[in-house]
Amino acid sequence: MAKDVKPTRKNLMAIEDRIELSERGHDTLEQKRDGLIMEFMDILDQAQDVRSDLSSDYETAQRKIDMARAMEGDVAVRGAAAALKEHPEITTQSKNIMGVVVPQIESSKVKKSLDERGYGLLGSSARIDEAADAYEELLETIILAAEVETAMKKMLTEIETTKRRVNALEFTLLPNLYENQEYIEQKLEEQEREEIFRMKKIKAKKEEAEKEEEEQAAADAAAETEVEAAD
Amino acid sequence: MSAAGSSNPEYVVARVRARRGSLYGDEEYRKLVRMSPPEIARFMEESTYEAEINALGSRHGGVDLIEYALNANLADQFEAILDWSEGRVYDLVVRYLRKFDAWNVKTVIRGIYTDADTEDVEVDLIRAGSFDDRRIQRLLEADSIEAVVEILEDTIYGEPLEAAYADFQEADVLVPLENAVDRAFYDHLLGSLGGDEPTRQYERFLKAEVDFRNARNALRLARSGADLDPADYFIEGGELFDRATLSRLAANLDELVTYIADSTYGDDLGDALRELEEADSLIAFEHATDAALLTYGDRLGTIHPVSVTPIISYILAKEREVENIRAIARGKEAGLGSDEIESELVIQ
Repeated sequence: MAKDVKPTRKNLMAIEDRIELSERGHDTLEQKRDGLIMEFMDILDQAQDVRSDLSSDYETAQRKIDMARAMEGDVAVRGAAAALKEHPEITTQSKNIMGVVVPQIESSKVKKSLDERGYGLLGSSARIDEAADAYEELLETIILAAEVETAMKKMLTEIETTKRRVNALEFTLLPNLYENQEYIEQKLEEQEREEIFRMKKIKAKKEEAEKEEEEQAAADAAAETEVEAAD
Repeated sequence: MSAAGSSNPEYVVARVRARRGSLYGDEEYRKLVRMSPPEIARFMEESTYEAEINALGSRHGGVDLIEYALNANLADQFEAILDWSEGRVYDLVVRYLRKFDAWNVKTVIRGIYTDADTEDVEVDLIRAGSFDDRRIQRLLEADSIEAVVEILEDTIYGEPLEAAYADFQEADVLVPLENAVDRAFYDHLLGSLGGDEPTRQYERFLKAEVDFRNARNALRLARSGADLDPADYFIEGGELFDRATLSRLAANLDELVTYIADSTYGDDLGDALRELEEADSLIAFEHATDAALLTYGDRLGTIHPVSVTPIISYILAKEREVENIRAIARGKEAGLGSDEIESELVIQ
């Protein structure tokens, strides 16, 4: 990776800018991840409670309907259930938790009073009422569980994505940038050292040439003096 | 098989006594609670339920087979009693068995309301009431609730259904129609009984049934907290409540429980009322009223041996047998323990 980068000062400055941006992004994403995890832990607690409620409500409802079927007969229970055509309704809205859009489910017509269940009061029994009550309770818990568990799933997905981004910055992008920065810095230093060395060499050569010139000039001057003396 | 002609309690009682002997007793129930549903079906096949189990065996299985066989047998037995009965006996018996007519009317109405298949509705009918096969067939063929009201116009359900039909159309819920059907049954249960001592005893039993029904409904209303007028659900004819008392008491559960505990039924229902206060469930109360009615019914059968009372006593005992066997089979299906199932049975 580092070898693909041209070791120029301009690139070094660009990499330094990217490192600064990535470090800032990394810190922000880390904060986001921690925030999401905290929110997730709250939702998880809620989800665990709802799950446990769901499980106990289901057991209660199943038991009540089993007892109603046993004591009143399956035909009577089915008959009471068939006396109602209207279904419960749900409406979904959304809310934002740290940038994650989670659903908010509102239910209506789940809990019904005795006169809204369709079957007549005079010819039915408390067992059927209790089974209906228990199933209404269960349905409300299911709707709440759907809301909480969907929020939990969405939060989990977001945490995973954020974690991957943080890890990518921490373990791939930033190390590469640091490596490139180091490579360029080393290259630039090397170039600088080479430059100094070259300058020194040139200077030395120049000085040697000057010295030779001076020596030549001195030799020439001495020869001239000798000739003049011979004349 | 009609209200016409002279009363024939001797003949009907003799036939009923023969059948009473084949009802399951403690010993059979003890065996049944230890059996699995297929074993229960097999056990039934070797007793009075043989014909029904064999006839329905190819169409149903498991606990459904047991339940349908029980209902079919109940219908056959009660239809036979109505066939044997004449005159006053028929009139007295049919007024109690009309509850199956009410059941069938409600089942047909529910079927039409939810667009159920005719076959599905038909298997849920219990042909133990006063409606003949032709009327039941016409009800099954009805394609609208209006048609059902029309078919029933010459019965006790005609007028009440017609009156409730407007409410049904307005609200599109079956409650007004179902209540009208049940109310018609109860209104004709006690109307113009009069007569001799056995009939008065029968009347006392029916009054107890009405009282218990009123008490159950008042407790259900009181516990539900629904904004409903208890007077709308009051059934005339009982001795325990009048309309105003029921309206006043249904607003306060504690007062209602105290009122019932202080009544003539206090001894029979005392334990159940205490349980109701503690356990916040009406099941024990309903259980206790069932047991009390069965005791009354049994008592009826022994005081005047040649009257309508042994017939009614048999009808109650047969109904209870059907309910007990169904409870055992469904309880087994749901995985309930033998002790738990036994506690739900009402055995005299």
